[in-house]
Amino acid sequence: MDRTSSFMASRILAAVVPVTLALLGTLIANLPVSFLGGIVPAPLLGLMPIYFWCLVRPDLMPPFWAFAVGLLEDMLSGGPAGVWTFAFIVTYALIDRQRDAFAGLSGLGAILGFATAAAVACASAYAVEALWYWRVPPLAPVMGELAMSVIFYVPIAMFLGGVHRRLVGPLRSDF
Amino acid sequence: MANGTWRNTRSRGYQMPLAVLFVLAVAIVLVGKAQTTLFDSARARVTDWMAPGLKVVHQPFDWISGWWADLGEGYGVYKENVRLKEENARLRQWQTYAVTLQARVKRYQLLLHAVPDPALSSVLAHVIGRAKRPFLETMILDAGKDNGVKPGQAVVDARGMIGRVFLAGEHTSWVILLSDLNSRIPVVIEPGHAQAILTGDNAKAPALDTLAQGAQVHEGDQVISSGDGGILPPGLPIGTVVADGHGFRVALLADPASSQDVEIVDFKNPIEMPSAPTPKDLPVAAAGLPPAAPPPPPVQQTAPAGNQAVAAPAAHVPAQPQPKTPARKPALKPALKPADTTAQPPADTADDQ
Repeated sequence: MDRTSSFMASRILAAVVPVTLALLGTLIANLPVSFLGGIVPAPLLGLMPIYFWCLVRPDLMPPFWAFAVGLLEDMLSGGPAGVWTFAFIVTYALIDRQRDAFAGLSGLGAILGFATAAAVACASAYAVEALWYWRVPPLAPVMGELAMSVIFYVPIAMFLGGVHRRLVGPLRSDF
Repeated sequence: MANGTWRNTRSRGYQMPLAVLFVLAVAIVLVGKAQTTLFDSARARVTDWMAPGLKVVHQPFDWISGWWADLGEGYGVYKENVRLKEENARLRQWQTYAVTLQARVKRYQLLLHAVPDPALSSVLAHVIGRAKRPFLETMILDAGKDNGVKPGQAVVDARGMIGRVFLAGEHTSWVILLSDLNSRIPVVIEPGHAQAILTGDNAKAPALDTLAQGAQVHEGDQVISSGDGGILPPGLPIGTVVADGHGFRVALLADPASSQDVEIVDFKNPIEMPSAPTPKDLPVAAAGLPPAAPPPPPVQQTAPAGNQAVAAPAAHVPAQPQPKTPARKPALKPALKPADTTAQPPADTADDQ
């Protein structure tokens, strides 16, 4: 009985942790506090858990949660509605289609993999923004956000890897 | 990196929800475009709820931000001090000149019975949050609807205009900065009094758009709000003109990154109602006047056939009753008199005095 309850608890924890981290990352990234006088933009912290667990455990990061995290990003960031929701769904579709290619990457390749995913997210958001306002927005702020996201992914991927090993774990055959 | 525990579990069952969610995301974009305030109330509530925490969290960030900004300025303190002393001396001269001019303008306004400038009230607010995202640069203030803050009001600090309120919660409000991509402010460039639109594009210095052809704009000209549209008060200092090679931009006087306390200006522009129409402005029948006299008959009855076409419109007039007094010309004379008097030079009145 104890083994069963422990098994269920670990299963629930494994299911909750990726989504919680994605939502928490979105909240932190959109906190209206400016570090270093607003020189650097906030990274896409919400996208990192989506990318990570979409590759490692896609059963725990279904597309619905990418949609929900994008929606939260839209609501908190103050920008036009749906921009990041659309961007995250497009990025998820890319990762889902190219999972074999992305998952085989390691080291610098893994960072480049995330950079590709983040670039797709930023490009999608940029395109929607351009269509929304029907003019070409400046490229520099989006490039800044992309650069910050890639730089921040290095330590955060290590953190997510640790969390995954300790709390989530690989997919078991009995799940 | 961290992909060692990966195991391929791709399931084709995801494809259908992904397509549905894609359509939903597009729908949100379209609905958001049609209804731009889709998320605004939710954002305002979230910010209201977070306001006490933000005040606490923001303090150390302010300190770090200020420390970072001061770090670069610490090296040139002596030179900066000398420069500021010289500038202060110059500004004192300008202050004396401005006070004199202000008194003179007031005297002129009294003499001319000019409509006084509308009074401005303001709410003092503290900055409790700043956000710089690719498509939005904003700051959050700790004053909202409870303090009389409304969307559209101008936000200024001690140096000049920062932006305007675009979302007001109960206790907090969001400010769209002048440099933001979505900011459009009607401005006047002095001393040429050229009208333009200050357009934010997320650059530090917003651009000047829609300058009238032939407008004389020079680097260093002053940019102030024009007050067109009646939302923002006229005359708020904004910045100085700088050239960037392709056109003109405005170096803002205010620095939103370092502003701690700001004023939200409540501008109540009196609505200009059109004056009541006089009987002369109304159609003849509505004014109760006798109908207009028909045009005088042609002097020469033996006009050529081509001239008959000119007199042809008179054929519509006989439908109206003929006036008893055919001559109405004298009635037109008084209406012309005011125009004649204004055209005269004021030398006579000056001589009379």
